[in-house]
Amino acid sequence: MTAKLELFRVSKRFGDRLVADDVSLTVDAGEFFVILGPSGEGKSTLLRMVAGIETVDAGLIYVDGVDITNLPPNKRNVAMVFQNYALYPNMNVYQNIAFPLKMQYFPREEIEPKVHEVAQTLGITEILDRRVGQISGGQQQRVALARAIVRNPSLFLLDEPLSNLDARVRFSARAELKKLQRDLGQTFVFVTHDQKEAESLSDRTGVLHLGRFEQIGVFHDIYERPVSRWVGDFVGDYPMNYLPDASDGGEIGFRTEWVDVGAGPYSIVVEVAERQGELVSVLGRDPTGRRIFLTTLKQPAIGDTIRFDLRQKLRFGPDGARLDGAQLPSRPAPS
Amino acid sequence: MTPAAGAAPSGGPAAARDRPPAPVAVRRRWTGSTIGLYAAIVAISAFLLFPVYVIFLMAFLPDNDTIYSPRPPLIPPTFTLSNLTQALTSANSPFLPSMYFSLEIAFLVGAIALLIGIPTAYGLSRLAPRLAYGLTTVMFIVNMLPSITIALPISVQFIKAGLYGSAISIALAQELLALPVTVFLLVGAFHALPPDLENQARVDGASRPQAIFGNLVPLIRPAIVASFLLAWMLSWDESTFALILSNPVHSPLAVEIFYSVTSRGNAVYAVAFSFIATVPVLILVVFLQRYLKGEDLAVGVRG
Ligand SMILES: Nc1ncnc2c1ncn2[C@@H]1O[C@H](COP(=O)(O)OP(=O)(O)O)[C@@H](O)[C@H]1O
Ligand SMILES: [Mg+2]
Repeated sequence: MTAKLELFRVSKRFGDRLVADDVSLTVDAGEFFVILGPSGEGKSTLLRMVAGIETVDAGLIYVDGVDITNLPPNKRNVAMVFQNYALYPNMNVYQNIAFPLKMQYFPREEIEPKVHEVAQTLGITEILDRRVGQISGGQQQRVALARAIVRNPSLFLLDEPLSNLDARVRFSARAELKKLQRDLGQTFVFVTHDQKEAESLSDRTGVLHLGRFEQIGVFHDIYERPVSRWVGDFVGDYPMNYLPDASDGGEIGFRTEWVDVGAGPYSIVVEVAERQGELVSVLGRDPTGRRIFLTTLKQPAIGDTIRFDLRQKLRFGPDGARLDGAQLPSRPAPS
Repeated sequence: MTPAAGAAPSGGPAAARDRPPAPVAVRRRWTGSTIGLYAAIVAISAFLLFPVYVIFLMAFLPDNDTIYSPRPPLIPPTFTLSNLTQALTSANSPFLPSMYFSLEIAFLVGAIALLIGIPTAYGLSRLAPRLAYGLTTVMFIVNMLPSITIALPISVQFIKAGLYGSAISIALAQELLALPVTVFLLVGAFHALPPDLENQARVDGASRPQAIFGNLVPLIRPAIVASFLLAWMLSWDESTFALILSNPVHSPLAVEIFYSVTSRGNAVYAVAFSFIATVPVLILVVFLQRYLKGEDLAVGVRG
């Protein structure tokens, strides 16, 4: 079973802090949707409202057209993987995975094959009789996933499930998670502060800022055409570069890879140049004193002037909103 | 291990046997402050244990050597078990029936403390901490008042309700003392659990009671066993409510011993029996001890 999730004008307040501000969202059936935002922006709270752990101050939540806004969590058929995995410490791995089925009063002879099947899928058959304190972080994450999958829920909610893993495990876990979602064909709503995860996992990404989705779309489009300076800075390995726009008092924003070094109307004076593999990362200042980050092939000397042109650029108004969406190419030039 | 013991065998076992231990290390063990410390420990222990020793003498010496002697000996000249056998076997000895009565009450107190204490503590642990501590403090107000002022009005109510002298009436009164302690202990235990464990259970299909009793309670088992033991022992020792709320012909053990020492009955038999009274406590502690350990229950929940 796979379901569509809809939020209609959902609001949530903690004291005088508005954590969700009139949020509306539709996640299609079978979609991998990533909620992206820095920590403290209310990503977890949004997920917990869908799970029923946190109440909603205003608004409605629908799963497959059914209003679940006021249902208790155990009546929602929504699975959730918590950031710390919340494995039941008094149960072994098998019992952890079997728990949701036991809560639905499945007979033992039906539980056993189901648990073994998901354990097989996730490659944790060998550790089924271990205590959860005796297994590695990567295994704990798989057990938490197995426990979510085994009950065949209509919706999966995952709250930064990769952030507790070592960097090496995280990379493969990410790929496996994506494959798992494809194979299951289930709706995943995945929360993260890591834009790399959003890029590699999501069908669509929603960037959460100040209690609202500032931009929702395919990750690549958000990267290329952020609706605001804030989104542009948050999405991407580096913040965007900005130059003053003489024509209207706004700013021109561009990403490092949109720069053609050699000639052009723009220039910087090199302050720091550091070789990283094939490329040299250069930090310099333009004539107005703004910091600009570029990459070049050849190592420049400190104090050199580098001239460059822009293949692609974005224009932002004084309030940080993008002005020139229509002029942008839909695909970047290959670099 | 003391520093001296750790420093001595530097040259291996054989070398250590040949050579006497380094004199410096030996001398350091018995500095003035160490001797003072041990002396203080011995003195305090003696002070605390002396009453127990006197009771021991009364229980196991002929009464001519103790309460009827002008100068009771500190070193016992003879021993006898006759006080004990008399207390246990004499035809109208009240002690064994009293002990059963006390056991009944103590188990009731322990059970009711958990029955009411677990849901109460869970509820408190989910409130804002400041409110929870405020309410817990309020519960202790009853403990701050002298029991006797509460026992009298309560006994009137129990007489009206036809419960006077019953085990349940005494247990309920003692619960006033036991429950705040139980709740205090259990609130702390619930508080230490990661809230997402309960959330996870709820998302996984457990109702709130199922999550509390199926997922959380097993994790705070040590605290539950400890608070049961505390409530049980508090009842076993309690004498004010027990005295006022019980029928003099059928009293709990603490009250019966009090009667025997002060008015009716035989004081020496009562003292001898008080050694028997420690047996249920010891059995209970030994039996429940293994459940007091937390095992590795806290592992596996990180963050
Ligand atoms: N139960 C709560 N009570 C009060 N404030 C909360 C509660 N849960 C979260 N918050 C606050 O709401 C904000 C958003 O939290 P959260 O949803 O966890 O953000 P994120 O997951 O994006 O890091 C934070 O400032 C956090 O301190
Ligand atoms: Mg979070």
